[in-house]
Amino acid sequence: MSFQLVQPSTPGEAIRLLSRSAAGEIAVLAGGTDLLFDLDQARIAPAQVLSLRKLPWRYLRWEGNSLVVGSTLPLRALELDPHVQSRLPGLWEAIRDVGSPALRSRATLGGNLGRCSPASDLIPILLALDARVRIVGPSGVREHPVDIVLQESRRTSLGPAELIESVILPASAPSTYLWQRVQPVNDISQVGVAAAFVPEGPHWRIALGGLQPRARRLSEAEAMLRSARPTHLEMELAAQEAARRAEFVSDKRATESYRRRLVSVLVRRAIQTTLDRMPKPSAPRKAAR
Amino acid sequence: MTRRDAEPKARGALEYGTDLEAPGMLWAALVRSPVAHGRIVHLDLSNARKMPGVVAVVGPDDLRALLPKGALEAERPVFPLDEIRYRGEPIAAVAAETLEQARRAAAAVAPEVESLRVDARIEDIFPEWPSEAAARDPRVVGHVHARHGDVDAKFRSAELVHSETYRTSGVHQVAIEPHACLAEIRDGTFCVRSSTQTPFGLREDIASILGIPESRLLIEGTWVGGGFGGKGAAFLEPYALLLAVASGRPVKLSLTYAEEFELGRTTLPSIIRLDTAVHRGRIVGRRVRLLLDTGASLPGRDFAVGYSIGFLLGPYRTETYEIEGFALQTNKPPFGPHRAPFAPQSAFALESHLDGLARRLGIDPIEFRKLHAWREGDRTAYDQPVGPFGLEAGLEAAARTAGRWRAGLPPGHGIGVACGFWSTSVGAGGEARLLLQPDGLVILEGEREIGNGSVVQGLAIVAERVLGLPLDAIRVEYGDTATAPFDSGVFGSRTLGALGQAVEKAARSLANTLATRAGVKVIQLEMKNSQVMVVAGRRRQKLVDLLTPAERAAGGIEALGKHYAPERKIDLSRVLAGTVYPYQDFTAAVHLAEVEVDRETGRVRVVRYAAFHDLGKAVDPPAVIAQVEGGVVMGLGTALSEEMLWTPEARLANPGLLDYRLPRIRDVPPIHVEVIEGFAGAGPFGAKGIGEPPIIPVPAAVANAVADATGTRVFELPLTPERVARALKLL
Amino acid sequence: MSDGPLALTINGKSRQFEKVPDSERLLDTLRWRAGLKGTKEGCRTGGCGACTVLVNGEPTLSCLVLSREVSQEKVTTIEGVATEKVGRLVIKAFTEAGAVQCGYCTPGFVVALAAQLRGGGSPPSVDTLVDGLEGNLCRCTGYCAIQKAVEAAREAVK
Repeated sequence: MSFQLVQPSTPGEAIRLLSRSAAGEIAVLAGGTDLLFDLDQARIAPAQVLSLRKLPWRYLRWEGNSLVVGSTLPLRALELDPHVQSRLPGLWEAIRDVGSPALRSRATLGGNLGRCSPASDLIPILLALDARVRIVGPSGVREHPVDIVLQESRRTSLGPAELIESVILPASAPSTYLWQRVQPVNDISQVGVAAAFVPEGPHWRIALGGLQPRARRLSEAEAMLRSARPTHLEMELAAQEAARRAEFVSDKRATESYRRRLVSVLVRRAIQTTLDRMPKPSAPRKAAR
Repeated sequence: MTRRDAEPKARGALEYGTDLEAPGMLWAALVRSPVAHGRIVHLDLSNARKMPGVVAVVGPDDLRALLPKGALEAERPVFPLDEIRYRGEPIAAVAAETLEQARRAAAAVAPEVESLRVDARIEDIFPEWPSEAAARDPRVVGHVHARHGDVDAKFRSAELVHSETYRTSGVHQVAIEPHACLAEIRDGTFCVRSSTQTPFGLREDIASILGIPESRLLIEGTWVGGGFGGKGAAFLEPYALLLAVASGRPVKLSLTYAEEFELGRTTLPSIIRLDTAVHRGRIVGRRVRLLLDTGASLPGRDFAVGYSIGFLLGPYRTETYEIEGFALQTNKPPFGPHRAPFAPQSAFALESHLDGLARRLGIDPIEFRKLHAWREGDRTAYDQPVGPFGLEAGLEAAARTAGRWRAGLPPGHGIGVACGFWSTSVGAGGEARLLLQPDGLVILEGEREIGNGSVVQGLAIVAERVLGLPLDAIRVEYGDTATAPFDSGVFGSRTLGALGQAVEKAARSLANTLATRAGVKVIQLEMKNSQVMVVAGRRRQKLVDLLTPAERAAGGIEALGKHYAPERKIDLSRVLAGTVYPYQDFTAAVHLAEVEVDRETGRVRVVRYAAFHDLGKAVDPPAVIAQVEGGVVMGLGTALSEEMLWTPEARLANPGLLDYRLPRIRDVPPIHVEVIEGFAGAGPFGAKGIGEPPIIPVPAAVANAVADATGTRVFELPLTPERVARALKLL
Repeated sequence: MSDGPLALTINGKSRQFEKVPDSERLLDTLRWRAGLKGTKEGCRTGGCGACTVLVNGEPTLSCLVLSREVSQEKVTTIEGVATEKVGRLVIKAFTEAGAVQCGYCTPGFVVALAAQLRGGGSPPSVDTLVDGLEGNLCRCTGYCAIQKAVEAAREAVK
């Protein structure tokens, strides 16, 4: 493999470089935890590799009730931020066991979204939180929900000269992310379940990872959770519905039937944990005598 | 005293195989077969030869010109001449100025291959248990069938027969350091430096593969980044040597992890059928049937199955038995040694079987094992006499611990017990040269330390105990096959026991010589002002004063100790067809595992673990604990997550750490280690080997604990969450 | 083919290398050009941690970094860590706990642990320190002695 490395320091420069290249001639390097494997295995052979390392997108900012994450910020920075853990517990749970600590020092949110792997641990929670993606390109800036930007493995709606600049995450919803793997560390999830309760619905959000072509929201299961505090039976029924609706494949990590079984367990647990994270309702006032 | 190699290793200062470098060195890459089974129609290497940076390309047609006569008659040809037998099999090799150039050239070779039918799994050859006539299938490369006593009668009259089938998967050694070597020709001598457990074994192997006389081969070991059985036989060295001859330059060859997995010679899958006949609460008969995938092993090499099948009787008195094993040739790399080869898998089957049988009889699993446990004087299936053996003592110690654990056991948890035994090797034997100098003792060896401490520290401790010299005045130095005394190698848990005896003999010889010179019966050594002092009764004198002028000129007094495998008379009627193994000691192990099982997902968590090991005498206690801890955790990998997955085309689907899952720091439970001393082995001070035994009972202990926790037995390794979920009928 | 001169700051020293391909990994530049072989080559896929170095003080898998990406950043290898006070304490803790067997994984562990203990102040909890080592594989020790080394190192640094 031989290529030329370009390291633009401004988004404009990056976009110009991308615009000039033909398809397949240039590859974008974020953290490298995916691209370098692709290069090593000769899956792709671009003439140029464009590193995002020098772009000013390694930040996280709280803007009111939202967390704005620059797309090239390493996941480790999000993991270690104390407010992320308390205000976006689902996101924190999704991040903290990706790969290993050193891998998380390189892996980025933008890279994860761009790769759009069906097994991604981050996509389900971003879907459940209704995250938005800010994209920059030759025609300027546009912002869309994550659900619209992601398509399938290795494909998003980004144009050839567009880049993800940041991800905006509403931070008011209690959330949970649960995963199941053969091993907890340095493994890919067989199934991942994200749950969030958005008070501005009010609305339960359940998203499932490990599906083909990619993670998605389970609106049928969500519809079965009618109240802010579903009963145990409602949780169970929603979990069963999720398991019934999910379309899985069997692969070397798990069979389709095991994935289905996991969904029915993890959806229930994720809803319960999210419930436990909600602010407790105040005690009912005693009736006046 | 901390090990001498610890600090330099921690600083990154020591040289391993992957670090090797020489001026003018070329980098090598292997051209590997794209199919698992096929005939080479045409192998055109001219493309590769023309590529940038390529200096030499070697294929089957080049051997005659490169080597002395006799190379092509080798039992294991270095390149397949005709038939490719596994995917990725090396069919040629390239050396170039950079590694990238070598790999690119190797990838550019597109051999013309006629594909043949692929046998990927045992079931592809035998979908059902084969008859004796089936042994004539050419893919049966080994077959053993032996009986002892009137098995049929015992089964007919038994009160109860317990029958089960177990399945085990392929597992890989996964040393963190991949194989690596550097070959060069110096003054007509074929020199190889390699990360190896067996420098002398390597010399012998390379000689037989390439037809080069041993006298013209010089092998030097480097520090080894883990071996676990995978760095014994010749592997990369012949290719590197051929390229060194062809190019006239030093050649470095090492593997990527993907190649390590795809080419690894290791434990392969098996199907084990066990039937046990019980009468009046005792085992009276056993039938064992083993189908062992031995990959691309050649016919006549039934060592794997002949060797493995004895373990399926376990360390127990078995009145009558019939054992039959088939070694099956599939299109995978040949079966090779992993730590305690195939013993963890055998123990998984047997110890799970005994556990289920005990429960069926309503007898405590530990008591049931005690009823049948070997004692000194019993004989094995290979008609070897069992020496002092601490199995009963281990079971008693385990019972006490199990009782305590049981008393406070939370709901949803389970406890499992499993036993194992091992016969530590002698190999051919070994020698040690000791040089006692005025400022300390040097032990000269041909092996490097592979990690367990037996060479760098264990041998030094033996000398310390015999001579009284403190450890920091004793140093092990490493030579090559020309300068160092012979030793079979670091494998088979043999180093302290066998090579240790060589050190012991040499040390005693030194002591005797000095005692005679000092006019006493017994001397000890000590250090004073950095000088070796000879202590004879109340008299102390400097070592120097007892040396002859010749010794003073030579720098000190030498002694050579030798320990070779003793000859043993064996009743051949009891011996499994053609398989007789020199052994040193039998050692017992008893393990306990406590697990918690998530009954919704099948995930198993090992809560705590206890290991009781009969090793005669703990000569180096910290090393013993280290080996037990390491072996147990390696066993947890075999038990819970490690398995090699092949497609129907015999392609390895998980050649990497992402999907071949090793235990990590958070996977490890507290491990209690208890040494059972007193059942002496033949090693120094009664020591027995400890390198391999700790891995053996682990998968069974975990599986038995899962059965205890859930009431359900899993008959297949590894116990991944999905397999447990399936056994629990969650799917 | 794109290669050219490359300057790196390694263990506090500026080093210049000629004709370094853009595709070259930091692991290979360190081992084969800078002569610093203490950083070990393992899986080359970020899974084993044997290649761990520090980039601006952060544990980094050098097999997954293009050397040219870090030309303006501070690279510290085991050779550098071993000369620092914290590094020496970590090494001492490892050797005394019996946590070094074959030793191939050890430099990676030492660098990863030292990174968490540098920087003064109160050291992180043992739990946090152990979490930080999740990416480092050991096949010899079973991690038991390594956990003891972590505890001892933390005590020594306090």
